[in-house]
Amino acid sequence: MERLRRLMRHNDSGIALSAGLLFVGCALSSESFLSAYNLFNISRIVAFSVLVALAQALVLVAGGMNLSVGAIGGLATITTGYCIQVLGLPGWLAALVALGIGGVAGWVNGVIITRLQINSFIATLATLFVFTGLVHGFSEGYAYTDIPREFTFLGRQKFLGLSNLFWTMGLVLLATHYAFRHTVFGRRLLATGGNQEAARLAGINTDRMILLSHVLSGGVGALAAVLWVSRMGSAQPATGKDWLITSFAVAIVGGTGLAGGRISALGLLLGAVIIVLIKNGLVMLEANVYYEQAFLGSIILLAVVVSRVRDLYGGRSGG
Amino acid sequence: MLELQSISKRFPGVRALDDVSLSFQPGQIHALVGENGAGKSTLLKIVTGIYQPDAGRMLFDGAPLRVRNCRDCLDRGIGLVHQEIQVVAEASVAENIMLDKLDAFSRWGRLDWPRLADQARAAMARVGLDIDPQVPIGDLSAAHKQLVQIARVLSAEARVLLLDEPTSSLTEHEAARLFGILRQLQEAGVAIVFVSHKFDEVYQIGDQVSVLRDGRHVGTRELAGLPRAELIEMMIGRRAETASFGMPVVDRAREVLRVEGLYAPGRAHDVSFSLYAGEILGLYGLVGAGRTELARLLVGAEQAERGAVYIHGTKARIGSVADSLYKYSMGYVTENRKEEGLLLDSAVRTNLGITIWERIVGKFTRRINDRAETQSAQAMIAALDIRTTGLEQEVANLSGGNQQKVSLGKWLTAGCDILIVDEPTVGVDIQAKAQIHRLLWDLAAKEGKAIILISSDMPEIISLAGRILVFKDKQIVHEIAEIHEQGLSYDAISRRIGLHLN
Repeated sequence: MERLRRLMRHNDSGIALSAGLLFVGCALSSESFLSAYNLFNISRIVAFSVLVALAQALVLVAGGMNLSVGAIGGLATITTGYCIQVLGLPGWLAALVALGIGGVAGWVNGVIITRLQINSFIATLATLFVFTGLVHGFSEGYAYTDIPREFTFLGRQKFLGLSNLFWTMGLVLLATHYAFRHTVFGRRLLATGGNQEAARLAGINTDRMILLSHVLSGGVGALAAVLWVSRMGSAQPATGKDWLITSFAVAIVGGTGLAGGRISALGLLLGAVIIVLIKNGLVMLEANVYYEQAFLGSIILLAVVVSRVRDLYGGRSGG
Repeated sequence: MLELQSISKRFPGVRALDDVSLSFQPGQIHALVGENGAGKSTLLKIVTGIYQPDAGRMLFDGAPLRVRNCRDCLDRGIGLVHQEIQVVAEASVAENIMLDKLDAFSRWGRLDWPRLADQARAAMARVGLDIDPQVPIGDLSAAHKQLVQIARVLSAEARVLLLDEPTSSLTEHEAARLFGILRQLQEAGVAIVFVSHKFDEVYQIGDQVSVLRDGRHVGTRELAGLPRAELIEMMIGRRAETASFGMPVVDRAREVLRVEGLYAPGRAHDVSFSLYAGEILGLYGLVGAGRTELARLLVGAEQAERGAVYIHGTKARIGSVADSLYKYSMGYVTENRKEEGLLLDSAVRTNLGITIWERIVGKFTRRINDRAETQSAQAMIAALDIRTTGLEQEVANLSGGNQQKVSLGKWLTAGCDILIVDEPTVGVDIQAKAQIHRLLWDLAAKEGKAIILISSDMPEIISLAGRILVFKDKQIVHEIAEIHEQGLSYDAISRRIGLHLN
């Protein structure tokens, strides 16, 4: 019983097990699954999903949420396209500007939440539409397709068999793990999400923590967008429309609690693997892709129920 | 009419009620008084079925009473009016009054508004309210909301009315009106139980008073002719169990904190005092006297409107708890460990280390030194004798006393020069209490720290503090100095405090 409890409480092991089972299941049911091309492709989608989810998780961990994560992605996408195609900036500079714009958009969210004392759900719901409107208005719906080949280096090339996207994600996750495990900033962010009032009374500037979590969320969202442009070879204004559900599904399945105060870099990676394999599996099973969101929504619900059960029976007395 | 026989209730680490027997009669207003944590709320919650007693039984009209929930007790005619105003702000007055029996006004799920309004009007008439039942209750004053809550309970034909500090959100005028209504109910034969911290009210309205202390029933007296001093003595007790720690070593030449005319409406009304190195300064007062409010102003959790705070002689600007901790080395151990003191889902290590991360971080890597964190946490666990399975155990899984030790330990780890400790031993067992007392004493006497001790526990404050400030209505009303120097006795001190709480 005690061992079972410990196992249940150890978040990542359950997720790893599910991911492993899914992987074996997919490999057994389809011959093409283990092909080099399919694995390469999956690694790219996983990498991308992890970044989108991280943008959400950084805010969840501080006890908030960011509904505008996709809209920030859209902003960063057209910023990249505009800088390269219209302004003729070099790719690296365009990417930096896009990251900056993402950070600023997150900063706007954070300022609204901390200065005006509006909860993050309402604040980011509003900015979701504001940012989306800006994307449509600025781009007038047209994609920026004049992206030079060098810019696709990150998105399309590979290194040691894995996509450069995957390596980039790996670096970002390592940094995430380091920050939350070892740095003052990360642990203060966790404390803020765990109990904001207690954190404030322990001398943590919780408003600044929340503001920074949104700035980082915007920055990571923008990074995902830049990589997406790099992969597609064009900057589509519709980028980000489908990010919201992915961001929540991966983050929650990956063990980032909705209540805040918990995050796991490895969990995010495993969560992304699970979600991507399920999507991939649905395609292989020739399920109607139009139902995909219904599946993802159910998985979010399932993950929340599982974590609830774990809290109830996993030896957490609380109360 | 309602009789409690040998009721006992334990919570982990505390005996909330210990063999309490009380009886409440129709047409009588029975006041219930006691310090914070004496067991008054627990008692009300047992009567209304929110808690189940561990032992003892209740009789209602001579028959055994068993209540499992609020519904049950309303059906029996026992109504509780909570201290906090609990209304559905957007709903009409009528709906709020009939909230628990809207079923009775519906036909095929459609509400019979005219009948609902009539009944609500009738219920309000009983408490002397003449308000349009259709207006949203959110528009009413606090007093009217409180009266509506009472009307709601009465509309259930309550024969026993339990009021938990009903005047805490009322003005004097509104309270007087409430009392008028209570007297009418009294004449109508309702048994009224009235929990209050305000003696004036108790004497004004009560027939009898029962005193609880540390979960025990100290006694019940007729209020007419009962001297206040005797009532206060019953409440705070004459316990001789105060430990003596010897003479404090206060360095009068080192004034570490001086507060001048601190003012914030409803929190502190022109509070001034000084604190010296090596001193333990006790703040005594009844609940709501302004001690916790003062502490929160001092550490920057709240901002004052006027007044100045000097730390080590220089004027301090404290905009947040971070300022207080990192600029002025002043910490605050909150009285409310679960809501404000602890990260319940986090490890013991994190909770103990949170105040020192900034100090043990690598310059370039920004990495917190794990070994330093572990060592300081282990030292604190040893010093406070915290019972835990290890550094990684979640604080939520510790007992109340050990949680309190972690909450205190966090600030001891920080090594503050000035430490404000708010009710450090509430809900803590005797052994842990003694350890915490020893620790606070040594901090002041051996390390020369300055400590402000906020406590409603008279023996605790008298055995530790060398000087006591008595608070009432957000002001300092009395100072008892040189307690150890003059060898003031427990009785002398508690009598002086009692005089000024009147």
